[in-house]
Amino acid sequence: MNLERLPNEEKLSLCRKYYLGGFAFLPFLWLVNIVWFFREAFVKPDYTEQLQIKTYVKRSALGLLLWIVVLTTWITIFQHYRAEWGEVGDYLSFTIPLGTP
Amino acid sequence: MANNAEDIENNMDQQQTNTAPEPPQEASVARARSRGGSGAGGGGGGGGDAGGNSSGPEQNGQPPAARPPLVVETEEDEDEEQTLKYGAKHVIMLFVPVTLCMVVVVATIKSVSFYTQKDGQRLIYTPFPEDTDTVAERALNSILNATIMITVIIVMTLVLVLLYKYRCYKVIQGWLFLSSLLLLFFFSYIYLKEVFKTYNVAMDYFTLAIIIWNFGVVGMMCIHWKGPLRLQQAYLIMISALMALVFIKYLPEWTAWLILAVISVYDLLAVLCPKGPLRILVETAQERNEPIFPALIYSSTMVWLVNMADTDGPKRNSTEAASPQQETQQAPIASPTPSSPSQDDGGFTSNWISNQEHQLGPIQSTEETRREIQQMPSARPPPEDDDEERGVKLGLGDFIFYSMLVGKASATASGDWNTTLACFVAILIVSCLFWCHVRVFESPQKPISSQYATPLYVNRLIV
Repeated sequence: MNLERLPNEEKLSLCRKYYLGGFAFLPFLWLVNIVWFFREAFVKPDYTEQLQIKTYVKRSALGLLLWIVVLTTWITIFQHYRAEWGEVGDYLSFTIPLGTP
Repeated sequence: MANNAEDIENNMDQQQTNTAPEPPQEASVARARSRGGSGAGGGGGGGGDAGGNSSGPEQNGQPPAARPPLVVETEEDEDEEQTLKYGAKHVIMLFVPVTLCMVVVVATIKSVSFYTQKDGQRLIYTPFPEDTDTVAERALNSILNATIMITVIIVMTLVLVLLYKYRCYKVIQGWLFLSSLLLLFFFSYIYLKEVFKTYNVAMDYFTLAIIIWNFGVVGMMCIHWKGPLRLQQAYLIMISALMALVFIKYLPEWTAWLILAVISVYDLLAVLCPKGPLRILVETAQERNEPIFPALIYSSTMVWLVNMADTDGPKRNSTEAASPQQETQQAPIASPTPSSPSQDDGGFTSNWISNQEHQLGPIQSTEETRREIQQMPSARPPPEDDDEERGVKLGLGDFIFYSMLVGKASATASGDWNTTLACFVAILIVSCLFWCHVRVFESPQKPISSQYATPLYVNRLIV
């Protein structure tokens, strides 16, 4: 899919769909949105829909940042306290590393 | 070889404008090869970056406007040259993803022991065990396994062709959708699990769920709907690698090699024989001017057809790569663009056989139409980066096929890296020759598919 060849309305619509889709626990989608539309939103000379695309990209970035914070916090907590939590820790674990921590 | 290239180049330089198909094609192929040689250095680094290498089409696309009839003739020659000149470059462009796929497979095989462990489990398609007492029994079992597998593949191919012929598109699409769903979620789940186990990393269900969910959904979107091209390519490489890994794990040794051998033969037959199911499939698709299946082909770039100008013959009206959006963007020439199903995104809309004649078709029309655009007074600038338009398509079955070969070689060989590398190089050479060979001998009228692992698509569907 080459963004260059799409008319602006379709670019906007695509950006919007990616943005809305990210709300379904899909930070990766937001990341893709940001990377893909970055040039469109910030580098290209102005066109009508660009302002809206910019907002979507910015909001996606915000959402992505939020997710990163949440995930990092959770992963840190989990990795650190997993052994101490005993049963709950094991229950939450998908793979359990071998050997003593 | 070099001498031949030079001689042929000299002949071409004498500007023979005869339109006999063979000599110019051979010359162009030779030229393409020599150019391909120089392009390899640039192309290897650039990967899919087709825009860099040649500015040929822009120059050739603007013929002297004064003499239309002569222009047509030389245009045809240039068409053939152009299309074939791109042959080698595109072949090289395909090296990168194939290599990447193989690298992923080999890296996984080497590091994650899961895929080389024999659990004793077999696929239901290969019920006969290979850990038997005598060699004869083993040989017999592997032949039986291979026969069963090949039969399944053939049956599946026929079913697919029948479904396509009777226009049961929903069934096919649903099938493909489910199969990519399976690959993207289930197999990647297993893959992640094994990778984490190998590296002794703790992982909780929550994070895992987020990862798999994201990977899967974005993958489905990129493959079946719209997404950035690079991401699409990356996903296809990944799922091909996953598929190859599954086969490496679950197919016993001799069965695997036998199957690989038989499949190559079968594929050639299925595609080249007039009654071959795949050929029927392709021809039906062409008759209906439809794209075949999304999500089964890897495209190195977007194939943007400027227009299917009705000045071209019906042969060239293989409009499969055109999607409605692209046409609205670039439509000075009034030609009715055939409707293609809206879910087909640009990279995949074409047929699922790999590059050649379908590239020849669209390329000739792009040349024509671009020329016409440029001759017309038009406010719209001519498309600058048409190099990128002529993507090369390779079926995913080829990826799986090659990766399986190399993966098996690396898994089983005792002289590890030598065998693997030798296998890898052999595959590249053979496939390169194959692609170039098919280019030389085909003509636009007779679509010859060079796809020689399409049953593996079906395989993919089976799994």
